[in-house]
Formats: sequence, structure tokens, C-alpha cells
Amino acid sequence: MIRYIVRRLILLGPLLIGITFVSWAVIQLAPGSTDYFQSLVLQYPQISPQRIAALRAEFGMDRPPLEQYLRWLWSIVHLNFGYSFAYNVPVAWLIGSRALNTLLLSLTSLVAAWAIAIPLGIYSAVHQYSAVDGALSAGAFVAISIPSFFSALLLLYGAFWTHLLPLQGLTSADFDFLPWWNKILDIASHLVLPTIALGVFSVGGLMRYMRTNLLEVLRSDYMKTARAKGLSEHTVIFRHGVRNAINPLVTLFGFELGGLLGGAAFVENVLGYPGLGRLVLEAVLKKDVFVVMGSLLMGSVLLILGNLVADVMLAAVDPRIRYD
Amino acid sequence: MRAIVLTCLIVSSLLMPPWIGAATAPHPSLPGLPNPKVLVGQIGHVGGVFLDSQQTDPSTFNPILANSTASTGPLGYLFDGLVEANGKTTDIEPGLAESWTVSKDGRTWTFVLRQGLQWDDGTPLTADDIVFTFKVIYDKKIPNSAADVLNVAGHPIEVTKIDARTIQFHTVQPFGPFLREVGNATLIPQHMLQKAYDAGQFNQTWGVNTAPRQIVGTGAFVMTEYRPAQRIVYDRNPYYWKVDAHGQRLPYIQHVVLTIVPNQNALRLLFQGGQADSYGVRPAEYAAFQRGAKAGNYTVYDGGPSFGTEFLTLNENPNSGLPDYKLRWFQNQKFRQAVSYAVDRQAIINQVYAGHAVPEYGPESPADKFFFNPHVMQYPYNLQKAADALAEAGFKKGSDGTLRDADGHPVAFVISTNADNPDRVAIGNIIRQDLASLGMQVTFAPEAFNTLVAKLTDSYKWEGIVLGLTGGIEPADGQNVWKSSGSLHMWYPKQAKPATSWETEIDRYFNLGATTVDQNRRRDYYNQWQAIVAEQVPFVYTAIPFAYVAVRNKFENIQFTAFGGPFWNFPVIYIK
Repeated sequence: MIRYIVRRLILLGPLLIGITFVSWAVIQLAPGSTDYFQSLVLQYPQISPQRIAALRAEFGMDRPPLEQYLRWLWSIVHLNFGYSFAYNVPVAWLIGSRALNTLLLSLTSLVAAWAIAIPLGIYSAVHQYSAVDGALSAGAFVAISIPSFFSALLLLYGAFWTHLLPLQGLTSADFDFLPWWNKILDIASHLVLPTIALGVFSVGGLMRYMRTNLLEVLRSDYMKTARAKGLSEHTVIFRHGVRNAINPLVTLFGFELGGLLGGAAFVENVLGYPGLGRLVLEAVLKKDVFVVMGSLLMGSVLLILGNLVADVMLAAVDPRIRYD
Repeated sequence: MRAIVLTCLIVSSLLMPPWIGAATAPHPSLPGLPNPKVLVGQIGHVGGVFLDSQQTDPSTFNPILANSTASTGPLGYLFDGLVEANGKTTDIEPGLAESWTVSKDGRTWTFVLRQGLQWDDGTPLTADDIVFTFKVIYDKKIPNSAADVLNVAGHPIEVTKIDARTIQFHTVQPFGPFLREVGNATLIPQHMLQKAYDAGQFNQTWGVNTAPRQIVGTGAFVMTEYRPAQRIVYDRNPYYWKVDAHGQRLPYIQHVVLTIVPNQNALRLLFQGGQADSYGVRPAEYAAFQRGAKAGNYTVYDGGPSFGTEFLTLNENPNSGLPDYKLRWFQNQKFRQAVSYAVDRQAIINQVYAGHAVPEYGPESPADKFFFNPHVMQYPYNLQKAADALAEAGFKKGSDGTLRDADGHPVAFVISTNADNPDRVAIGNIIRQDLASLGMQVTFAPEAFNTLVAKLTDSYKWEGIVLGLTGGIEPADGQNVWKSSGSLHMWYPKQAKPATSWETEIDRYFNLGATTVDQNRRRDYYNQWQAIVAEQVPFVYTAIPFAYVAVRNKFENIQFTAFGGPFWNFPVIYIK
């Protein structure tokens, strides 16, 4: 097992070089648009061409594209993610300043989604074609069909008219003047809307996965055997049914781990959440290349590690799976 | 000492009449600060929170490097200049400097700092800080837009310390915009930044990753907290150098909380939800906000025309690769005038700005009370005049309704704009329809902002563009647009020699305006420039929207103006 993990980790290097090189090339090849520095001229008409050239040189962006990439790669090896053009601060700080917020939201919505979806999926499968199953399935299809930015807008509309929940952000304007227990309450109340928009609305898909997998298992011969042995229905479903039906969901969980720091730019923009998605979207629009590359790199590492974790977990939950 | 006070009075009576009232009353003073600046207004009390808001994060806390409003806005609470513009009169009045004199030849300016000024960490502010500030600004390795502006015929301004409170500026030629541009240069503390500067680290210093209390200034507030993408929190500066008429130290407001949101709609929600105290109302929203004023407990102030302009420009650049016949259309004054006559500005005002705008024909907004020239050639909507001008230039409308030039080429071209600006897209659509009624086949194709910039500044491959520029009081700031050598001289940028006689004239007036100190003579030069632009129509101007600001009814001493907004006298504003 350990040899397997080490082998996967060694493969990480070439994989990341491939990913970053393709990303860099795509950014360079985007047709017809200028770099960050050239577009400064419309924002500050008084800026001189010499000033723009000096700025470009300061970030090494006056060199040939391939050399730019190799220099970037070299600094990454030294754990230096470079400086943002727009902010002139290290990219690592910029990403770090939002990463915790994004992680917090990802975790709450992940927990909310799984905590709701798994039990509902099991219930639906066990009570297949009952009225509740029908209602849950219908609800799931509605939730799957609504894009997250739209659900966020709907929630925003509701919150605006009911005055029950804060409309945007992660903290209130008077946050810094609050005692610590009110700070926790404040953050919790701000998390409700984005968690619903991201988490609860993704319940539908997960629930359907769980239902389908479990149904398939329930029809198999060993379930009949289990029942014939006289095991209680509870043991049959949870020890023999759910444990076998969960495998595909573990793989899915690995993918979701990879997306933990990806942010959700649409929901963040609508609900003013101070997460990474907003930062990266802004950087892409402004062509703040090092920020884009830094977040791509981080996303890729997380995705690869998430897959690895999923594979290891699969081996743990299913004794049939062996990697050596 | 007596001489200094005397110069102060003379200067103030010459340059800033409204200040006189304060000078005749017994002048308030503070221990250690004998001559603080007095702000007039009702006497208030200290306390309360002002809820500010803005779109997008600041990109730096270094005032020398800051050039977007997202950075200069938050830093406005923290830094001051030697002089400042009065929000009501738009005149320049004393700031950190209590007085100044200018030599007869207009090339040497002497400023005297107020006695007893302190940075907000308690360190005294001296002439050394000013010398340091300008040394940084003129450092070639430090990219800052102040250096581009504080540049007289290619030479930096010489800055010399006379004594701890006196400082002298020397320019190679008389420099017209001197006072305004020097006022824009915010002063930075030598004791905080010298080390980083000597180490060559200035460009990375005071970035947004700096601890807020490390940012030391002279402004009304100090920064106590910055949470990226969330908010900035400020506290009163206990060393501030302005007082009310009773000699009480300002500002009145105790805390400022500036919330950062991702978009304009979020700003609006924030205001309507009571989490912000002011909101810049767009013309199209005016009616709705006016209706909600009583229930929301706010007032909508009408600032009249704003400084921004929106216009159509046509490519006259021979290096653009456009076919010669197209260039001949766009280079033809009659053609451009015909286009201007055909633009239905009233339709733009009604449809885009819900009636809250004025038609514009020249390059300066009427918001600029001093430099605006109302007597320029105007092009009220008139299709007959447009057709006449086209006929005069040899264009003929055929029986199929298509306009053709003298050689028979049908007049067809593409107009572009940046698609992320809904106002501009709407303006472009109206212009397309207007030009169609002259028989021109115009394709309107909005595209990404970066693509547009690339075409304007790099490839020059475009035919027509609808664009806008933000403006200010000082016309000299627009030299990059108006001088034929400018890189933003959109219709034909970076000319080695002016291509036309009228561009030669504009170049001449811009050079004269920059090197003349007498403000009335400068106004004459810039009036000429406005007249030439209106007559030659390199930009077909459309309309100037009004500026509206909604402000919660919890403040006293608000004196709203279009130039200064509701909060230009912020230190003296207090909460009822």
C-alpha cells in the first residue's frame, strides 16, 4: 500500500508540469487580447508607455513566453509562487487570505450535502416507488436543474424580503466590535445562505446516486441469502446493502475533496462571499497570470491528492480492492 | 513669524475667498498645533460609525503606487497633500501647508508647513518627509502615475528643503497645473519607509498584506483592520490637524467601516439593507430611489452633470490597415459632422439615462465649472443637416437607400464597444439605428474589454468604437488623449508629427496650457481646444449623465456638490 502511495506521489511531478504547461500555453494563445499592463492605459489615461514597459519588465513579462514559463516553474520549485500584477503582493498570501473562508464554506456545504443526501437516498431505495420516494425524486430533479447562481439569487431575494438572514459577506459590518460568542453566531448566520445554495442544492445528484447503487445491491443474490439466514432487516440493509453500495460514492467524495479550495465563483459573486472563486475570476479577467497559475496549480494538486485519498479509502472500505 | 502669517492671509485672499470668514474670527488653536485648519459647519460631537462601501478590493496600501479608485478611495481616509481642493468652490486651498508663494517668473514655489504637524503614530512631520516623498515619486524604478503628471517638459520638479517647515519647488518652465498636481501627491512618512526604499524594496512595501497599523499617514483616520474581500475598519486619528470653529479636534466620526462587495447590485442591496450609509445612484435607478427615500430614511442628492464622457470615435490612422477609401471617409470632417448631426442624443438621454443626462458636444463636462466652454459648435439631432454635410463631401444615397461615396463604395463599417458596459452597448445600438437612417450600413459588435484595448493601443485594426473616459477638473491630465503624440490619441495615436493643422493647434494649446501659470490665460487656451474638438469631431460625444448619491438621513453638515460629493468635508460631518 505504501509503495503504491509513493508511486502515485512520484507521478505527481510530471503530471503537474504537463497541466501547468498546457494552462500557460492556453493563456498565451488567447487571441486578440492584451496583457494586464497594456489595459492599464484606459483606466489611467495619464500613464506613459515607458511606465507600462517598466512595469512589464519588473515582472519579467517582457521576455519570450517560453522563458516566462520556465522562470515561473523554477520559482515554483523553490516554493515561490510569484507576485500578483494587480496587487504587487505574493500570490501565496493572496490565495492564503481567502483560502480559509473557501475551506469553511466548502466543508459546511459538503457536510450538509452528504448528511442529507445519504439517508434520503437509502430511504428512497428501501421504499422504492412509494409516495415519499416519488416526492424525493421529483425534488432531486428540480434541485439538479437549478444552477447554483440562480438558487443563490432566489435565496437572496427571500432573505431581502424576510429580513431573517444577512444578505452578503461572511461577517457583519460591526463584526470587529463583537464579543467572541457573537462573532461565532455572526459567521454561522452568514454561512446559512451560501451553504444552502451550494450544499443543499447539490443533494439531488448525490441522493440519486445512493438510491440507484443501493437498489442494484438490494436486488443481488447475497441479499436474499442474508435474509434467508434470518438476519434482521436493519442488519441486512446497513451491513450488507449500504456497505456494498457506497463504493462509487467514495470515488465521488475524492473528487469533492479536490474541489474543496476551488471556490464557487458564481455563488461567491452573488452572495458577496470572500472566497477564492472571486479572486481567481477577477484574475482571469484581468490576466493576472501568476494568480491564475497559482490557483490552477493548487487546484490540480488537490484534485490529484483527492483522487489518491479516494483510492486509499476504497481499499479500506472494500476488502476486495488491493493495489499491490 | 509675522511675515509668514501675512503671506498666509494675502495668499488666501487671492486664491480662496470662502476661507476668509474663518481668518477674521479669533483663530482656534490646539496645544502644540497653533494653526490647525478650521472647517466651517455646525458644532457637533465625537462618536458613531460611518458605513462606507465599495466595489472590489484595494490593490495596494502604498499611496505612491495606488492608481485605481479601489485603492485611492480607502487611502483617502489616511493621507493628505500639501494643498487640497475645496469641494464646493473647486479652488485650491491650504492643506498640510499653511501658505505658499510663487516667484515672479512662475518657476519657484515656496510652501510653509503648519507648525506641530504629526504623523498618526506621533512622529513629527517635517520638510524631510516632503523631500523623501518626491525623491520616491521621481525614482525611475518606482512605477507611479504621479511621476507622469508631475513632469515639466520631461524634467522632474526640483525639491529643496529650506528649513524644517519650509520647502521650495523649482520647475524648468512655468507649470500651469502645478498647485493641483502637487496637491494630488500624497505625503508619505520617511521614518516608516526609508529602510525599504534604501533596500530597493519600495514596490513591495505597504502592499495589502501589511499589518494595518503599519500604514502611517496624516489623514482623519487610521486603519485598524483589513479583511480581504470583506472590509476595512478605521479609527479616528488623534493627531489630526483640522478643528471645528470652536477649536475641537476633528474628525467627529469615531469609526469608519468600509464594506467590500463584488458588484454594483450588491452595493445597492447593502444600502437598502441598512449596511451602508451612501450609494451612488445610477440615472436609471433614480426614480425608484426617489420613491423609497422616505421609507428608507435617506435623501437622494442631485449633483448635476458628472465628469465622465461617452463618445463614438472613428479610426483615422493610416497605419491601421483599413482600406484607403474608408480612411478617407473617417478623415473627412464633413463626414464626422454628419455622423454627429445624426446621433439622436435625446433618445440616448431618455433610453439609457431615463432622462437624467444632458447632451454633450465638446470634450469638457459642464461639471468643470472653471474650464468648461459652453460656446462650442453644437450638433442637435438633424437628419437634413447630416444629409447636406454628406452631400457636400460627395456622398450620394442611391435608390436602394444605401449611401455611397464619390467612387461608389457603399458606406459600411463596424462599431465596437466593451460588452461588459450595458450603457455603452445601449448607446451603440441607438447610434447604429441613427446612422442606418442616413443609409450607412453599420454593424454593431460589442466585445471583451481586453480585446478592445488591444485593438486601440496595439493592432489599430478597428473602424469605430464607442468608449468613455473619466474626467477631472484639470484638462492637462488629458494630454495623453489630446496631444497627437499621445498613446491614447485614439483616432491616430503616437504621431511623430501632427497629421492635420487642427491637431497641430491642439498640441500648441496643450503645451501653452501646461506652461502658463496664470489660470485665466490657461482657461482661454483650453477654451480654444474645446472649440477645435467640437468643430473637427474626432470624438462624437453623446450625453453626460447626472451624478446622484443617496445618503442616509443620519448626518449633519453635509454640503453636497457634484465635484466633491456628499462627503468632501468629511471630518466636520457628524452623526445626529
